[in-house]
Amino acid sequence: MSNKLEAYLEEISHYLSGRAEREEILSEIRSHILEKAAAEHGGTDDAAVDRAIDAYGPPRRVAERYAEDRPIIAPAYKRYLVRYTSLLFAFHAFLTVVAVVFQKDFVIFPFLFMPRLNVFTALMYLPTAFLADLGVVAVVLYFVTQSGKDVKLPWPKFGVDLDEVKPPKASVWQLVGRIIGAVVMLAITDFALYLFVRYKTIFLYSLHGGDFKPILTPGAGRYVSLIVIAMLAVSTIANLIRIFTRTRWVNVVSNVLSLGLIGLLLGQSFDGLFAMPIAEKALPAIRYSVRFSLLFVAVMIAIELVKDLVRLGHRKLARSGIGGERIPGSDLQNRG
Amino acid sequence: MTDQEPDIGSLETEMNRGFLHILVLALLEKDMYGYSMVKHIETLGYKVEENTLYPLLRRLEKNGWVASKWDMSEDRPRKFYAVTAAGRALRASLLEIWKTQNRILDKIAKENVHVQ
Repeated sequence: MSNKLEAYLEEISHYLSGRAEREEILSEIRSHILEKAAAEHGGTDDAAVDRAIDAYGPPRRVAERYAEDRPIIAPAYKRYLVRYTSLLFAFHAFLTVVAVVFQKDFVIFPFLFMPRLNVFTALMYLPTAFLADLGVVAVVLYFVTQSGKDVKLPWPKFGVDLDEVKPPKASVWQLVGRIIGAVVMLAITDFALYLFVRYKTIFLYSLHGGDFKPILTPGAGRYVSLIVIAMLAVSTIANLIRIFTRTRWVNVVSNVLSLGLIGLLLGQSFDGLFAMPIAEKALPAIRYSVRFSLLFVAVMIAIELVKDLVRLGHRKLARSGIGGERIPGSDLQNRG
Repeated sequence: MTDQEPDIGSLETEMNRGFLHILVLALLEKDMYGYSMVKHIETLGYKVEENTLYPLLRRLEKNGWVASKWDMSEDRPRKFYAVTAAGRALRASLLEIWKTQNRILDKIAKENVHVQ
């Protein structure tokens, strides 16, 4: 028998892998090709068999026609893929922030293990977490779809339903607002830089109209000031870029950078931080209120980040049609 | 509307699905093997892709509308197919649907003639 025929059947077999009737299907195709080669190409030699194989079609396409006409994830669950992934990722992101702030391991066996993370490893961890969450939700929806049952899944509502948020229309006033925002941020950043150059810190106080004095010790003041100036600079640059483009990637990048910088602030020790006299009793309250405020801002930024990632992902999924994707070639079944 | 020829490729595929079921169930009133079915359909002025016919036969057999058996008496083994009683009942139902659809389209076509 033709080696090419065996190789052809082997390749089809590869795509049919796992099917109980695989051998039977291959026997049918073998029989047909040999029949056709003998009847139309004068025998079953290699050349005749090759021509019959060419007419039968590429192996993958042949195998795909045996696939059941069932989507990988039912189109009805397409929105659930985005909704559930964003919820799971929001939870994951929250735990990541907690892991960074409190420097603790988390284990929710067997679903989650989160080691102690610093700010930079947390930033590396978040994209991986997003992909893992997307995968988990996709697998669940896959099994729900393959069960063939009419499963009614819960539909949690966000405060604002992302799917129903219409992109704002670009108007002249919005552009003016963006320009004003960018100019204001630029002025604030410049002022902070001016303070830093002059006083080596931006955290100053003045009692009874006297000279400005640093609130923080020189080392801590310099470090924290630089972080705050970097945050202002990130925000300024993002505002300037938004004048020219409306892409959500600007928000994503600026929010990721801001989260990283807030993480650095959260990692700052409060011991020996203040240069100005502060009552010993007041220190714990100040420490907790500052940490809580930073954490609150971080969570707000994280929510914005998740929203933007979901919107970007939603658009990408909609373009690729992954949610309603059918088994490749299944629409070709029964084509005559 | 434009004067361009509409692309009916995918629509034709959709329409062919049902028709192929009826065609195969009708053809298999007598035992036939795959290659002979392809050639016979060609003589009727229609064409069915080989790699479409076999998956269709498999699905029909899986549902009990067609039965098959291998004939090993010739030089080459051939798999013969035949319609079952359930397949005949299905064919009758499908034909009835097809006739009803044709009747409806005929009626609409006549109504449209009066409208024009």
